Amino acid sequence: MMSSANQKASTMWFTQSLRLLHHELRRGELTIIFLAIVLAVATVFSLTGFSGQIKHAIVANSTNTIGADRVLRMSSEVDLSIIEKSQSLALKSARKIETESMAFAGDNMLLSELDAVSETYPLRGELRIKTSLTQSESMVVNAPKQGSVWVEPSVLSRLDVNIGDIIEIGVAPLTIAGIVTDIPDRSYRAFIAGPTVILNIADMPKTELIQPGSRITYKYLFAGETDAIETFETWIKPQINESQRWYDAKAAQNRLSRILDTAEKFLSLASMLGIVLAAVAVAVASRRYGQRHQSTVSIFKALGASISHVRKLYCLHWTLLSCLSIATGLVVGYGLLLLGVNAIASYLSLADAPLTFVPFLTAIFTGLLCAIAFAIHPIMTLVKSSPLNVIRGFSQDKVARFGLHQLPPILALFLLLFIFSQDLVMSAALLLGGVVVSFILLLLGRGLMSAGRSVGTKAGKSWHLALANLKRRASENSVQLVSFTIAIKLLLLITVMKSSILSEWEQQFPEDTPNHYLINITQNQIDPLKTFAEENNIANQGFYHVYRGRLSAINGIKTVDEDDHDKPAQSDEKSGNQAKQETKKTEQKKSRQGMGRELGLTWRTELPEENEIIAGQWWQVGDEKPQVSIESNIAERLEVELGDDLTFTLGSDEFTVPVTSIRKVNWQSRQLNFIMVFNQSVLEQFPTTSISAWSILDKDRDLVYRFLANFPTITVMDFAAIMAQLNSIIEQVTVAIQLILILVVLAGSLVLIAQVQASMEERERELAILRTLGAKGSLLRNSVLYEFVALGAIAGLMASIGMEIAVYILQSQVFNMPGSFHFQYWLLGIGAGAFFVGTIGMLSCWRLLKLSSVTLIRRTM
Amino acid sequence: MHVNSENILSVKDLTKSVQVEDKTLVLLQPLNLTVAAGESIAVVGSSGSGKTTLLSILAGLDLPSSGQVYLKNKPLHQFNEEQRSQVRAQHVGFIFQQFLLINSLTALENVMLPAELANLTDARARGEALLEQVGLADRLDHYPSQLSGGEQQRVAIARAFIAKPDILFADEPTGNLDSKTGQHITDLIFDLNAKEGTTLVLVTHDAKLAARCQRQVEMDSGVLTEPTVEQVSNNAKTSNVESTKTQHHDVETQNSAAQATTPQVG
Ligand SMILES: Nc1ncnc2c1ncn2[C@@H]1O[C@H](COP(=O)(O)OP(=O)(O)O)[C@@H](O)[C@H]1O
Ligand SMILES: [Mg+2]
Repeated sequence: MMSSANQKASTMWFTQSLRLLHHELRRGELTIIFLAIVLAVATVFSLTGFSGQIKHAIVANSTNTIGADRVLRMSSEVDLSIIEKSQSLALKSARKIETESMAFAGDNMLLSELDAVSETYPLRGELRIKTSLTQSESMVVNAPKQGSVWVEPSVLSRLDVNIGDIIEIGVAPLTIAGIVTDIPDRSYRAFIAGPTVILNIADMPKTELIQPGSRITYKYLFAGETDAIETFETWIKPQINESQRWYDAKAAQNRLSRILDTAEKFLSLASMLGIVLAAVAVAVASRRYGQRHQSTVSIFKALGASISHVRKLYCLHWTLLSCLSIATGLVVGYGLLLLGVNAIASYLSLADAPLTFVPFLTAIFTGLLCAIAFAIHPIMTLVKSSPLNVIRGFSQDKVARFGLHQLPPILALFLLLFIFSQDLVMSAALLLGGVVVSFILLLLGRGLMSAGRSVGTKAGKSWHLALANLKRRASENSVQLVSFTIAIKLLLLITVMKSSILSEWEQQFPEDTPNHYLINITQNQIDPLKTFAEENNIANQGFYHVYRGRLSAINGIKTVDEDDHDKPAQSDEKSGNQAKQETKKTEQKKSRQGMGRELGLTWRTELPEENEIIAGQWWQVGDEKPQVSIESNIAERLEVELGDDLTFTLGSDEFTVPVTSIRKVNWQSRQLNFIMVFNQSVLEQFPTTSISAWSILDKDRDLVYRFLANFPTITVMDFAAIMAQLNSIIEQVTVAIQLILILVVLAGSLVLIAQVQASMEERERELAILRTLGAKGSLLRNSVLYEFVALGAIAGLMASIGMEIAVYILQSQVFNMPGSFHFQYWLLGIGAGAFFVGTIGMLSCWRLLKLSSVTLIRRTM
Repeated sequence: MHVNSENILSVKDLTKSVQVEDKTLVLLQPLNLTVAAGESIAVVGSSGSGKTTLLSILAGLDLPSSGQVYLKNKPLHQFNEEQRSQVRAQHVGFIFQQFLLINSLTALENVMLPAELANLTDARARGEALLEQVGLADRLDHYPSQLSGGEQQRVAIARAFIAKPDILFADEPTGNLDSKTGQHITDLIFDLNAKEGTTLVLVTHDAKLAARCQRQVEMDSGVLTEPTVEQVSNNAKTSNVESTKTQHHDVETQNSAAQATTPQVG
């Protein structure tokens, strides 16, 4: 008997704790805390898991993102001696030519990425195809047979063709022999002309796509024994020039994973705001929880429960709640992750990418931080409640504003920031910045609430009451105010930037604005095109000769490209970064920042339209002295001034010319614009293709397309298609950011609801008193509604101001656009804020407003 | 005065004062009191006279400023919070004016609580039986918010008796109820008390209610006095006309109880 009683005693707290949790969950007392933790955990899990899987699928998993051990990339054919040397070292090699071109089938044409590969391609990794759409297993292949191509699935639908049909690439008719499922060295660029078409490199001449000045990339792939590769590398490295790159898989992967890392960091820091708000919701809700449970603890103690009993009871209670929330958060997060994986399935299959323990750990840790650091103080205070309270009544003891108890939340915040940014300085800066911004918003918000209070005295009775209440609860309201302000501001900012980037570009152009670019025009094609355009009244900008070249030196100092440190084979890791910093400090050093890419160069005798000389002078007609005119933004970025000597590399040639003018270019017009424009004598001697911009009216479209089909080697880029692609990229980015902002709004709402609940007793009392004094139901309802509407409107107003400042900075500093005001978005911000906060507030006060006056009055007795 | 082993509660030279800002407020003047096992005693007095203060010290919820309190021979005045908790769990039952049920637990779970804290094995069965006795057999799974004030107090009564306390403290148990419900509650308390043979310390400002106890003491501005037997029966006769049956019983036992204990007036 005695022992069984003891046994019972040892588990009694356990039973009681479970019972408490069960009832509290059912009664909805813990909903806010539960939801807040679920939100934080789900976000962190899905975000971390998603980016981890992407990284794994792209980087870690594919040891062969380059299809070889080493790649030599260049814009012209390689010297034979290099191939011979590789053969003498018993290295395997393969060739690949990459370009963009039209693919034709009947009346349809499609811009596509063209990969021409040799029989040995790929040397590492697998190229996989299916020879019929119904085939379930793909097979590993090398190059397609001469005369046939493999295409990505979307080519079939967009050209309305099937496997076995013939498509024309350039002037060569080729048979579709299969669809590509895996490309070992697929590139993950933002802009991709279209789906990939793979052909045999031996068919390339037949297409007639390769012309002097065509934009073509030649790749030479090498693989073999490590020793041999290294010997080859030591031999070849000194021969690599500016227009060539020599890289291995790791360099390619590093670059990719750095981009992914940055994206991940950015997104997780953005989601930090939501997580912090979720934590605040936990803090607010657990304070109320502590107060509501005071009586329970006191009664427990009065009835003889020991402190340790109560402590164990609540620790378990809280632990169970945390575990339940975290587990639910993981499940929800997993669901979100699957949604994300599904959404990008057409770009990238994550099916095989395993979930590592990292997202689990990070998410669980975040959940624990929220549940513990932000709730420990109220819970500890709760456990200490005196049994004497049952006699003396329950105090609503005000927690000291500043004190040691605020240390855990602040430390937790810092820890969270650090986990997501992995950068101590940045975490500290963000924490500090966050505090400063919050402080400014707090002051501003308080000011506006006070202002509202004085305005309210002149408004109707409901408004008067509402604004008076808003001001009285100012300190409780500040958290919501700040969080809603930030959320609304970011939402507005994204909306404004998106529409201003897109629509201010797409806005009404005059009818004759070019809408098609014609690229890769050979010299003998210019005349027929010109005649056709004249005969059919097609507005165009004339034909520009294009030469592809690099800026290789400024005033005799070699340029270093921004991403040169990706190519350890070319220069040692540090030199790029170091160089950049050193140039800034001591002007004349061994290298300068370059353009980082091959440029389209051209020559003109007259200043192009929409260009304006802002320094120096445009050359006279017939001025034979070699010289160049540079675009002003680039000149500023490269720190190039009038009179500086610029050295360019074109294939194997190199020449140096002085800058004689700096031009301001209107990039928003769709004119063909060039960064570097030379006078005729500089470039004349080099072989070239031409480029033109046409404005094709809808009614002429078929006619023009049919005519252009006679020149299959010309690449036609429809501006609308480019815009659509740009649109879809921006759309995807904004969707990602908006998802996170929705999270922020959700978390903000949780804070609001938690706050309303915390003030519920007080509100009840007030309403009861007003009722007793004879206030009408509508007055009470409106006064509650207007309080939240005013809160939301103030947040919206502050958000609009913040958005306007941020947009102005972005427009003037980043996008080089003239600053503009967006008053319609102010209305949107204020309106949306008022509506949203009003709705949430009303919903959370619903119970209160539904109470009959009798109940209300009885409650206060 | 010696500590009688038959006395379940014995108080010697107890005082209580509190510090309010820089002034010392005396809540209880030095007082002595003994309560015999099985006895029922009423502490009467006007509001603010110190009844609740006294009760909270007797029950071990609070500590006296000076003096000694023995409950079941245990020196409460020397015990810390934890030790007093243990004493309460083992020997004490409570009924409060504000009922003080735990809102998140059902009626039955509220009732079971003290039994669980005292490590009794048959908490559930006893709880159900007690709730049946107070007429709430069909409300076991209801939450306090779903019960009326009278029903809540009945739950509290069941809770007070479940752990078979040696002594029951009731602080204005009908103070929050209308007179009819209050009457019913009072009947319940005295019935159960009689059945269980529990010692009862009842705090009230209601003379009618006080008269149902075997013995009355009066609190006035922190001073405890015990009126003479005649005074008490007079009070009872004038104020408790309707319940003649219990009144008669009360007066009868009152006499013997008054002889058994020595009234100590501070
Ligand atoms: N902790 C305290 N601090 C200050 N005054 C107190 C304290 N506790 C009780 N009092 C005062 O002591 C007096 C007696 O209180 P109480 O014992 O509750 O009276 P009763 O229960 O008889 O109505 C009251 O005036 C009350 O305000
Ligand atoms: Mg009292």
